[in-house]
Amino acid sequence: MADLRREKTRMIQKDPGLFWALLAIWIALGIFILYPVVRLVGMAFMPDGHFSIVSLREAFQDTYTVKALGNSLWLALAVSVTGTILGYLFALLVTRTAMPKVCKALFSAVTLLPLISPPFTSSISLSLALGPNGYLLRLFHIPDFQIYGFLGTWLSETLTYFPVAYMVISAVLETMSANLDDAAMSLGASSGRILRTVTIPLSMPGIANSFLLLFGSSLADFATPLILGGHQFPVLPTQAYLEITGMFDLHSGASLSLMLLVPTLIVFWLQRMVVGDKNYVTVTGKSGAQSAFSPLPIVAKVIISMVCALVLAFVLYLYGIILVGSFVKTWGVTNTPTMANYQYAFKFGKKAITDTLKIAFVSTILGSILGVVIGFILQRKQFIGHRLLEIGSMLNYALPGTVVGIAYIIAFNKKPFLLTSTMAILVAAYVFRYYATSIRSVMASLEQIDKTLEEASESLGASTAGTFLHVTVPLVIPAVLTGLRYLFIHSMTAISATIFLVSVRWTLLTSRILESMTELQFTQACAFSIILIIIVFIADGLMTWALHMYSVHFLKTKEATK
Amino acid sequence: MRKKLLALAALAAVLVAPVLAQGGKESGTAASAKEQTLDVYSIMPEKYATVIFDAFTKDTGIKVNFVRLSSGEALSRILAEKDNPQVDALWGGPSDTYDAGVKEGVFAQYVPKEADKIPANLRSADGYWTGIGIIPLCFLTNNNFLQKNGLKAPTSWQDLLDPKYEKQLQMADARTSGTATERIYSLVKVMGEDEAFAYQKKLNKSVQLYTKSGAGGAMPTATGQAAGGIFYLVDALDIQQQGYPLSITYPKEGVTYGVEGSGILQGCKHPEAAKALMDWASSTKLGTVMNDNKICYVPTRPDIQISNPAMDLSKIPLVEAESTWKGENRQRLIDRWVKEVIEGN
Repeated sequence: MADLRREKTRMIQKDPGLFWALLAIWIALGIFILYPVVRLVGMAFMPDGHFSIVSLREAFQDTYTVKALGNSLWLALAVSVTGTILGYLFALLVTRTAMPKVCKALFSAVTLLPLISPPFTSSISLSLALGPNGYLLRLFHIPDFQIYGFLGTWLSETLTYFPVAYMVISAVLETMSANLDDAAMSLGASSGRILRTVTIPLSMPGIANSFLLLFGSSLADFATPLILGGHQFPVLPTQAYLEITGMFDLHSGASLSLMLLVPTLIVFWLQRMVVGDKNYVTVTGKSGAQSAFSPLPIVAKVIISMVCALVLAFVLYLYGIILVGSFVKTWGVTNTPTMANYQYAFKFGKKAITDTLKIAFVSTILGSILGVVIGFILQRKQFIGHRLLEIGSMLNYALPGTVVGIAYIIAFNKKPFLLTSTMAILVAAYVFRYYATSIRSVMASLEQIDKTLEEASESLGASTAGTFLHVTVPLVIPAVLTGLRYLFIHSMTAISATIFLVSVRWTLLTSRILESMTELQFTQACAFSIILIIIVFIADGLMTWALHMYSVHFLKTKEATK
Repeated sequence: MRKKLLALAALAAVLVAPVLAQGGKESGTAASAKEQTLDVYSIMPEKYATVIFDAFTKDTGIKVNFVRLSSGEALSRILAEKDNPQVDALWGGPSDTYDAGVKEGVFAQYVPKEADKIPANLRSADGYWTGIGIIPLCFLTNNNFLQKNGLKAPTSWQDLLDPKYEKQLQMADARTSGTATERIYSLVKVMGEDEAFAYQKKLNKSVQLYTKSGAGGAMPTATGQAAGGIFYLVDALDIQQQGYPLSITYPKEGVTYGVEGSGILQGCKHPEAAKALMDWASSTKLGTVMNDNKICYVPTRPDIQISNPAMDLSKIPLVEAESTWKGENRQRLIDRWVKEVIEGN
């Protein structure tokens, strides 16, 4: 142990670049993650300047809070299991079947829908469809069932978060080498056996990451349970939100949310155990000609296609409600088509739209750079405090957004970090929360790429920067793309942290939508949502296209050098 | 080389943040010299505030930047930003939110020029806040639901206990909504406290959902997802004016009413502009703007003509509940509601 430590110290000494990179990262994490959390913990434990565990003890003695903790865990578990399974099915269908390209594009586009709209939007159309007197219930003559509670929250969160699983897992499935399938097939394995013994085991990093991401998302989500949880199904983030916003009680809100940290850290640790040190390298320098993946077994293909089609139809239906809503005057009463809602949105929402775009753009760029750098260092480098950096960098992601928001306004309203009412506070909140996907997918991708490729490049005389840019980056492009898209989407749609950070100078489209929902402007809210969805779709398409062009260019140069 | 690149990238990320922060600040300081701008947290919905502030800008030349927040969010923020107020005034929202803020020392005292024209019970005794609108509670029910179930629009609190309403009503959650606390004040004033809580436990059977915001249940009521609920008149009239088949009625036992406040923050950056807003709001101008634009707060100045007969307070069975009483009992009543109605069921 001591030897290892000494060796790690020596590595840092030998590698001054790593030292400076680590220093810069730790400064950033210190300011934007640790400092606010410390201020928050201070709020929970030292309500009047003295250490006291009264708030925390009170929280644990309250049966309702304990119930909320249990509900949160149960919900997060259910959502991460169903979401990951659903995401895996979608990923298999897109990466392992010979669907026409147009179909695939359509598929990806539709799976994006739940992700690129604020969570409460789909919650509301879900309650219109399956809630009391809901459209679908009436259509199929299903008796009223209580959608408010576990059922509705679980359904809505699964639909909202399975695209994350899909993105993470399909990135892994895409970077997998088909040669293993070939080998297995030539050894006589059936396609079912290949799926069971090659594809699924090799996608374990993706599955584990998706599980962790979904668990974290569900644990932190307050908007969905707020709308669909009802009062029978309390969860911790919603309780914390209610304490802070409703009861003006920062102290107990802070201690409630700190209770979430423990389960998050446990899942994090479990995820490490699952992926562990097993060897998942499939992209090596030794591959021959690229071959095709083994096709899915017919039965599996039919079942998967049917499940995916059903889910897609339901998602489309939910968003159809929003689309129709945006074009009618009075929902359910005057159904004549009108553009009035869009005129309203562009007249009164222009500032919100442009502000949101600027913030999302800057957050995506900064977050991706930071995410790739941290992911690379964590996966490829050994140094003291490795685990600490891994946990520290993901902390804001694990904390409920509401709490991050409150922690930020407590921490950044005073010199030396006077940031309230600025764009920077919003950007920082997004970057240090949502670069998590970027870090995770870069790490998962690097886990599959043999280090010898980089070493070969360096020993052949390429500069280290050149190696990073021309070998490492192109190989992790799908993962970078996943992180980039996720960052942008979240910067456009997230609300839990930033609802506290919008200011008179910087406002956001999502808070405008929530505002319209609560102001009885349902049709205007629909119009805002559609505008948001279209913007994200276009930007997302552009990003995919740009990165695609980059990889094509990269492939060409590779061909040329052969 | 690669490491340097990494270090540079990470450093860039850290360094860009303060630069971005700079951009935001400058626009603020440049404007403050002449106090031609005013920054406001509005608890009043954005669609009303936009119209009202436009009229204010037209009259005074002062431009208003505002962001809309729920009352709890607004107060949490004002408390968190106490040492460095980000806005000059709070606009709208129930008077007990103001009283809670006064206790924490976040409001400045200012008595607007025409404040004496506003009845004393509609403004702070010490000049910390001034009432800008009155909103009674009311019942809102869906006509289609009533017809289908052979019911008449409810005219008594007891009517809501009818089994036909089982799991059909939506109303606000007391932990987040001033409308909900107003409902509890009404019941306590009408029935007495213990009786009011016994009633609410029974009422809980009729409740489909407790919503986050006061108006949250109005849309489901309008579209038929819920049968009805208890709302502030301003929200009920707003959705009824949109054309939905809805009835607005009152319990014969009586309802209390909310007073929407307005106040200046202690240590704010544009105190003169904030005072101008308070003066304007206490003149007849505010009430006229609201009346002309169908914004259904009943003006706090009795000398303003109201064209909507539904807003005639003399026809509504109003029960008095003093703002100080509300402020003193608010937290205790919410806690009791959570314990007995929410957690006890």
